[in-house]
Amino acid sequence: MTALLSQLGLGRQSLFGSLMLAALVVLIGLIVMAVAEKAQIRVANVFFVNLILVFGLQITMGNSNVANLGHITFTGVAAYVVGILVLPLAIKATGIPNAPFGLAEVLIHFVPAAMIAVVFSTALAFITGLVLTRQTGIAYTIATLALLVIVHTVLTNWVDLTRGPIAMYGIPIRANTVSLMLIAGACAIVARLFRDSRWGLQLRASGEDVLGAEASGVSVRTLRLVAWTLSGFVLSIGGVMYAYMVGTINPKSFYFDAVFLTLAMLILGGMRSVSGAVVGAVIVTLGTELMRWLEGAPVIFGGKMPQIFGLTGFFLGVVIVLFMALRPDGLVGDEELDEMARRLWRERRTKGAKEQAQESET
Amino acid sequence: MDYVIQQVLNAASIGGEYALLALGLAIVFSVMGLVNFAHGELITISGFTMYAIFIFAAPTSAWGLLPVGIIAAIAAAVVFERVAFRPVRNAPATTGLLTAFGLSIVVKNFFVSVVGATRPRAVPTPDWLSSHIEIGAVHIQTLQLLEAAVTAVALMALLALLRGTNIGLAMRAAAKDFNTVRLMGIRANQVVLAAFVISGLLAGLAAVFIMARRGAVDPFMGFTPVLKAFVAAVLGGFGSLGGAVVGGLALGAAEVLFQIILPESIAGYRDAFVFLFVGGVLILRPQGLFGRKHQFGDKEG
Repeated sequence: MTALLSQLGLGRQSLFGSLMLAALVVLIGLIVMAVAEKAQIRVANVFFVNLILVFGLQITMGNSNVANLGHITFTGVAAYVVGILVLPLAIKATGIPNAPFGLAEVLIHFVPAAMIAVVFSTALAFITGLVLTRQTGIAYTIATLALLVIVHTVLTNWVDLTRGPIAMYGIPIRANTVSLMLIAGACAIVARLFRDSRWGLQLRASGEDVLGAEASGVSVRTLRLVAWTLSGFVLSIGGVMYAYMVGTINPKSFYFDAVFLTLAMLILGGMRSVSGAVVGAVIVTLGTELMRWLEGAPVIFGGKMPQIFGLTGFFLGVVIVLFMALRPDGLVGDEELDEMARRLWRERRTKGAKEQAQESET
Repeated sequence: MDYVIQQVLNAASIGGEYALLALGLAIVFSVMGLVNFAHGELITISGFTMYAIFIFAAPTSAWGLLPVGIIAAIAAAVVFERVAFRPVRNAPATTGLLTAFGLSIVVKNFFVSVVGATRPRAVPTPDWLSSHIEIGAVHIQTLQLLEAAVTAVALMALLALLRGTNIGLAMRAAAKDFNTVRLMGIRANQVVLAAFVISGLLAGLAAVFIMARRGAVDPFMGFTPVLKAFVAAVLGGFGSLGGAVVGGLALGAAEVLFQIILPESIAGYRDAFVFLFVGGVLILRPQGLFGRKHQFGDKEG
């Protein structure tokens, strides 16, 4: 085990840090389950799915420092694949009776269906990654955006398979807070270990200085492909969990609103660390819930507020703009929380030792 | 033959619209390295200003709305630069890109909040824009003819500006090396301002045509045209002005072509086919049709 870890360039601290992060995620879930009411549990479930997506986004964007606006593509593909595979036959008969490849008669147990969906969507990520990583800079970002539009167009127009713009409903609900928090925790470990691994370090170096990294023998293109595929894997898991959580999917769930939301979460927390993803997801979730409450024309101090649409989106946009202008590294910045704690602890100890030494001198 | 002329004109007018937008993106990018995702919001702001004037000032003819739309787009571009983009001017390209992305969300949702809903609102444009002329057997929409013509004139004017004036020279130089331009005693703010004014003007022209075609405004109207313009700019080679024009026209032609050759049953996939086609071109030429070959670590990373 240790041999394998050191092969990947991982030390004990990475392992410890990733477990701490997973524990933090699970702790959030346990607290919510202990105190929350039904509506809040729903919010928490959505939070965990979004957290998985933010981990996925962090793996590519956080490490390589190139904007990725198409990540939700793989979430959508995985959600639709799993939805089509597990939809009860009776619902299929009315919803998608003309599904191609005989899919209208197919019904699979929900676990293998999830695996098939993740494998399919990850394979798609790998194939698109082969093309995408030929691009650099802005062309890469636009290409990710074009990918999102292409897949959205297909999901919306392939009515026989996806019901098109109409929601596909009736997917059996298989996810609950426990499974969501455990899987989110597992994804935290994946993201953290990748960040700390040899490849993650090289990719982060390329994010600082592409030319310098290339000159030092880092194969930036290959690493971007690895990160893109791994991120596709995590995002697919998020898609499957989303489908199993809400039971109803439509193409709009996997379009720009989801992109904005996860992007704002990652930016606010700080995209260079996995802890940042967690912090950002927590704060943005609280913020959007507040905005949604305000949008619903609540009664404040006895006066009824006017109903305002679009507040949530407005809030997300403002978060992105303000953080980019004032604190582009996000709240957490470069260090993971456990690294930060360790550094502060060490600094305090050396400071204490110095003071002691000074005292003994005088 | 009429059919062919008709379709060529279709391609030219749609391509012209993309070219106008792509040029605006390219000029801002070449001068300050900013990928302006909020470009589409210039169209939205222009449209809503026309709508506001129409509602509150109730002009007798729709003529006056056209300059209003163009001026609104220019003003919005200048405000964007001052408020949002100046703080991130020296930041890495990704920071600027995400700022613009955030700004675009803010503006969209501002209109959603103010107008209260996302349903389109009608705005009139002069009748003659949607009239037709008959030349021989060919039936031509004035709008399309005008669009192709205005694009050509705007291009010529832009070329004259870039070649013939000091500020044009400064802008071309800034695309190569901004610091040297400043060492020559030219104010950076002026050059950037000029770039944004030009991009606003071009977006305003496009906005007027888009309004004439749609006849209505909604908060998300700027998104699709600018997405296409981005694809056009990448196709031509991002940051190259000539590439933006050629990319825009090529994209317009590709759209019309796919519209013709795709059978009815899969016509909904047109955009997917167009983007895949562009993707195919980019596999063969990752730097775009006219782009300089980018190495990792060049100006845009």
